Amino acid sequence: MKDVQGAGVRGQGAGVRSQEAGALKKLVRKLTAQWFSLALLAMALLLPVLVNKFYLGLLVEVFVLAVFALSYNLLLGYIGIISFGHAMFFGAGAYVAALTLVRIPWKNLTQSWALPRGPELFMSVVPLLVIVLGVLLITGLLGVLIGIVTLRVRGVYFAMVTLAFAEVLAILAASSELRPFTGGDEGLHDLPVPAWISPTAQRVLFYYLALAFLVSMYLLVRRIVNSPTGRVLIAIRENEQRAASIGYNPFQFKLIGIVVAGMIAGLAGALHALYLRNITPETTLGVGRTIEALLMTIIGGVGTLLGPVIGAIVNRLLGNFLADQPLFRTTWQLILGIGYILLVLFFPYGIVGTWQMRRLDVRGGWRRLVRLVKR
Amino acid sequence: MSLEAIVSIIIQGLTLGMLYFLIAAGLSLIFGLMDVLNFAHGAIFMVGAYVATTVYYDLGGGQFGAYLPPPLAPTLLKLGLKGGVALVADSNVRFVIALLAGGLVGVGLGALIEWSMIRPLYKRPIFQILLTLGLAYVLSELVRNIWGFNPYNLEKPAALAQSVEVVERMVPYYKFFLIALGCVLFIVVYALLQRTRLGIIIRAGVQNSEMVQALGINVRRVFTVVFALGAGLAAFGGAAAAPFVGVSPLMGMSFQLSAFIVVVIGGMGSIPGAAVGSLLVGLAQAFAAYRLSPLVANAILVGLMGLVLLIKPAGLFGAKKEGGH
Repeated sequence: MKDVQGAGVRGQGAGVRSQEAGALKKLVRKLTAQWFSLALLAMALLLPVLVNKFYLGLLVEVFVLAVFALSYNLLLGYIGIISFGHAMFFGAGAYVAALTLVRIPWKNLTQSWALPRGPELFMSVVPLLVIVLGVLLITGLLGVLIGIVTLRVRGVYFAMVTLAFAEVLAILAASSELRPFTGGDEGLHDLPVPAWISPTAQRVLFYYLALAFLVSMYLLVRRIVNSPTGRVLIAIRENEQRAASIGYNPFQFKLIGIVVAGMIAGLAGALHALYLRNITPETTLGVGRTIEALLMTIIGGVGTLLGPVIGAIVNRLLGNFLADQPLFRTTWQLILGIGYILLVLFFPYGIVGTWQMRRLDVRGGWRRLVRLVKR
Repeated sequence: MSLEAIVSIIIQGLTLGMLYFLIAAGLSLIFGLMDVLNFAHGAIFMVGAYVATTVYYDLGGGQFGAYLPPPLAPTLLKLGLKGGVALVADSNVRFVIALLAGGLVGVGLGALIEWSMIRPLYKRPIFQILLTLGLAYVLSELVRNIWGFNPYNLEKPAALAQSVEVVERMVPYYKFFLIALGCVLFIVVYALLQRTRLGIIIRAGVQNSEMVQALGINVRRVFTVVFALGAGLAAFGGAAAAPFVGVSPLMGMSFQLSAFIVVVIGGMGSIPGAAVGSLLVGLAQAFAAYRLSPLVANAILVGLMGLVLLIKPAGLFGAKKEGGH
């Protein structure tokens, strides 16, 4: 069971306590197996000293997108279902966050710039708690609802139907009938984000908040994938009929996967709204958002834990770099898209997937990846 | 609702339905035959519209877009082809040329896409879908880069510019033209499938392409032909739709969404299904858009699609096994 997962070498729970004499050694070995992730984390922790506010902001966006891609990879890489409507969860999260801030008359939200203390701290944390709970509730419900309908169909039908549902949500959010509530196609602007985590005045704090969010979501996804439930999900990806014949209900487990992935995506969307303080239906709910997650997952490596994170970093920084060049100012999205197509054609395992293929015994890894790809 | 409202809604619905049919027919056949859901189909529709608009104005002597060939008329004059100039000065001739150009570019694009990108991935269907979605993105970015963000309007040719009074409402000739065009193309596609050798191969391939291959027919080549024809039909539809809905980088996605709904309702791989589904969706949209807003009309349609999926996952005329595979 240990190695069903396409990328299942790393991290079988680094924090395992053992009374045996070699426990410490084992821990060290496990940590060194994670050297790359740890190096990345250390670098991310040090960055605020090294780079300016602009790049910190860019990295906040990278972290948000990385979480979104992580959740997408849970569906694509571990359950093996293609959703083209994942943006609906991201957008739902963003809208819940924005509406909570805008439509509820909070007091003194944006006034004091200093870190609040005592009861004030409590009062300024409450909106954030409401956002988190609201996002989890709404995206969870949405996931159950969408999952029940869409999981009746498979493969391309699933992709098509999820796309349609996401577009409907985007259409509804943009419709003129709902304009007084959602702001119509212009979206919601100048969200009153609590001053103590203001993404502009408290950029460094916000950066660490986003980093902590990414790390915790990464650990959560890792925990899910390595849990018994996660193993069943991977078994369903590998062979659904067999998983069903062993006695696992694929529908149930897929539904769990969709709901969890949706919740994580919703949280990412909420943080996106808090950071940008402006949201529109097109940028949060549009199909472009889903394509972005897809892009990042494929660049990093489908079905690998770290892949989506790497993919988000590469995609965003590369996009930003290209957009800065006068030569590519208008064409950088086109170039990224062409790069994506070439990747799908010639390099379908992504950065992390290829790296692991090289690291593992080559034949076994190849067989696993071929199985992952040839479904 | 008054009689005149009902009549004008029906005409509007039929017109929309015919455009949906042109996209859905290719989408449905491509999926039925080779199990590829082409998410770039709407983008090809859009490319057809842009090409037709460009050709139309370019022949008319106007410069159009930044990277495009210079106006044709002076070149013809230089070559001493006065007759050619007189010919393309007629907007009707230019329009026909523009429609054909749009369709042909679609055929070429479809063949190129199938040959270079879809074919290497037949063993990896998941990546095929990922690829076509990426392709839709690339095509719309490409269009934005060549033609810019702003929408264009293709004028109606002189012969179709007038309107006629139907039950106290003015209806443009162009709508009747689109309806007639849709009917003709339905008959052509249907006859192609029912009466020709290629059609027999395609229908057999929809049922079991491996068996067709085993009987000694080069199915891969038929795949390319069907993909190219489907793309051509969509691009032709885009060209014909251009004077009716306007040309913009976003038109592809919205028409594709409706076409998806059509093929889900009608059933994958069935041309009559695509036709019935198109008319249903077009009429439903026209009616809903009259009473409510067009946005809400779309939402209702997607709800309808969800309902069909829940009750009859294979669609009304589904030629495929339940819910795909």
